[in-house]
Amino acid sequence: MRRLLPVLAAACLAAVPLSAHAQDKGRDVKGLFLMTDYPAVTVQPGTTSNVSLRLQNYGLPPERLGLKVEGVPAGWTATLLGGGQPVGAAMPATDSSVSLQLRLEVPKDAAIGTHTLTVSAQGQGQNVSLPIAVSLAKELPAKLTVEPKLPALRGTARSTFEYQLTIKNDSGRNLLVSFGAEAPRNFETSFTEQYGSQELSSIPIEAGQSKDIKLKVRPPTTVGAGTYPISVTVSAEDAKANARVSLEVVGQPRLRISGREGLMSARAEAGEQASVPVFVYNDGSAPADNVELSGTGPSGWKIEFEPKTIDRIAPNQNAEAQARITPSPKSLAGDYMVNLKASAQGEQANGDFRVTVSTSTMWGIAGAGIIGIALLVMVGAVARFGRR
Amino acid sequence: MRREGSPWQGLGTVVLKELSDHLSSARMRVLEWLIVLTAFASLYGAIQQVKDTTAEDPFVFLRLFTVARSPLPSFVSILGFLIPLMAIGLGFDAVNGEHNRRTLSRILSQPIYRDALLLGKFLAGLATLAVSLVSLWLLVIGLGLLLLGVPPNGEEVARSLIFLVIALAYAGVWLAVAMLFSVLFRSPATAALIALGLWLFLALLWPMLASALAQVIAPPDLMSIMLGRPSLETLMWQQALERLSPTHLFAESIIAILSPMTRTLGPVFLSQLEGAVIGTPLPLTQSLLIAWPQAVGLIAATILLFVVGYIAFQRQEVRA
Repeated sequence: MRRLLPVLAAACLAAVPLSAHAQDKGRDVKGLFLMTDYPAVTVQPGTTSNVSLRLQNYGLPPERLGLKVEGVPAGWTATLLGGGQPVGAAMPATDSSVSLQLRLEVPKDAAIGTHTLTVSAQGQGQNVSLPIAVSLAKELPAKLTVEPKLPALRGTARSTFEYQLTIKNDSGRNLLVSFGAEAPRNFETSFTEQYGSQELSSIPIEAGQSKDIKLKVRPPTTVGAGTYPISVTVSAEDAKANARVSLEVVGQPRLRISGREGLMSARAEAGEQASVPVFVYNDGSAPADNVELSGTGPSGWKIEFEPKTIDRIAPNQNAEAQARITPSPKSLAGDYMVNLKASAQGEQANGDFRVTVSTSTMWGIAGAGIIGIALLVMVGAVARFGRR
Repeated sequence: MRREGSPWQGLGTVVLKELSDHLSSARMRVLEWLIVLTAFASLYGAIQQVKDTTAEDPFVFLRLFTVARSPLPSFVSILGFLIPLMAIGLGFDAVNGEHNRRTLSRILSQPIYRDALLLGKFLAGLATLAVSLVSLWLLVIGLGLLLLGVPPNGEEVARSLIFLVIALAYAGVWLAVAMLFSVLFRSPATAALIALGLWLFLALLWPMLASALAQVIAPPDLMSIMLGRPSLETLMWQQALERLSPTHLFAESIIAILSPMTRTLGPVFLSQLEGAVIGTPLPLTQSLLIAWPQAVGLIAATILLFVVGYIAFQRQEVRA
């Protein structure tokens, strides 16, 4: 000890010009410090939380410093971590720092209140300590928030609903935030970047920052009119946040056209009108008004409807009409395609009907007549020229 | 002198006698072997072809009749060529042969009218042809079953039976032609030569002549010269002229019956094909309607040619 004193005195003497020098550079701190950004924290019982610590050495030679935590209440576990593993000592180089973490495991049944834990680093002649006030609280302020910009959207059963969501990371750490949406059955949900089509399941957010993502919802096309709730959950480690958005589906008629019992074929004779029963179904969620029927066929064909317009078809109902198809008199025998169309308020349905055209049997009868005449000629010849 | 009683008295006797003569004659046997062997060869080729190329076809059996594998023509075109030969072979000496053997007056002294004699000979010839055509048809079906391993469906059987009837009508035309010549000419050689000459003319030369004649009757207009194609009118005339030949009628009706996809036999306008589903088979009745005019032509020609021969025979002196 006696031998050390002159050394310390020399060091103190040397420190005067040094500190003067340091002051020139705008710093007059010298020594060993144990620091944390937040020396008083609030944690929830039953959770594990981390407190970041820093052991800083300003202008001192490196030295081994033993670390310990004092004042830990019974039942708590306090561990000092450095570089990811428990450490018992630290050795900061001159003018540099060592990062440490104090991990606190607080039991569930810990009493609400404030406890002061002291972290100390002790070396030869050096002793620094840092009191950390740990308050226990049942409810912690949210670390994550999620907020929809437009929480209620409206559209038809066939539109895609896009919600802009802003996720903010209020925790002190960088988080990998994952998200999920809970929608009614058969609704299709996906998260994408704000500008881009890549689907996401999680996104990294730095401490204190926020990010925008997009939630796309596609309702099933068979969905009825109404309002549907969707709940969005974002979570990261122990933090969680919820938001509710809603989706209003406006009813829309949806038409389908076919023959009786789904039959899409008909028969017709060339040049003759044939009547084909046609059914128009409304599979949508709103009634279809003023359904107009029309048809296109090969040139020379005539396609008319009786009635031409159907006043109203309620959802999940159908209406019958008669299509009067007249093939061109010059049509050949065989199958032809005819397109029948039902349209109402921008909604339309198409049906390709296959019409089997047959030709008139009149010439067949004429042919039989010719053979009959030939036979008559024979009979006449037998009667006229018959002889012994 | 007017006749008493039914003109068809003794018809059955004549038919049976003629039939037995035909079926046992060496000439008939040679003709039959000729047809059977060539038909068999072309059929074998067709079966190979069908096996090689057809993936899925609702009318595989009908393909046996129409598909050809070079160098042999298809089964139906061989029949179209050889049926006349067989019919002429059966009929060319029907009446003048009796004359030359001096048996005609002896037959007619029996209680058999000329009507019955001529019709009996005709029916016997037709029956002989029917027997050989039916056996050919059975040969086709049997070989198809054996080598293709698929049974024909009902429509295929119906269509091939209709084909059989049309082939018989076609044979009837040539039998009537041959009998007409056998009535008109005393020498069987002359009758045979003229009948064979007519057959070769109609089968080989007439198609070429028809198109040349059509060009003369309806000269091509400016439009068709520029397009390098015959005009519609020329085409119509060519078809009308070609249809004077029974060979052409037979070929056309067979196409309509054995290829169910055939929609028409005449020229087709593009507007008629608009919206048409190409390649779909027609129902049997519609195919029949298409082939019906041709079939009527064949049947009516048979009857009329027979009537001409009948009148000529009735007016002839037979006792010489």
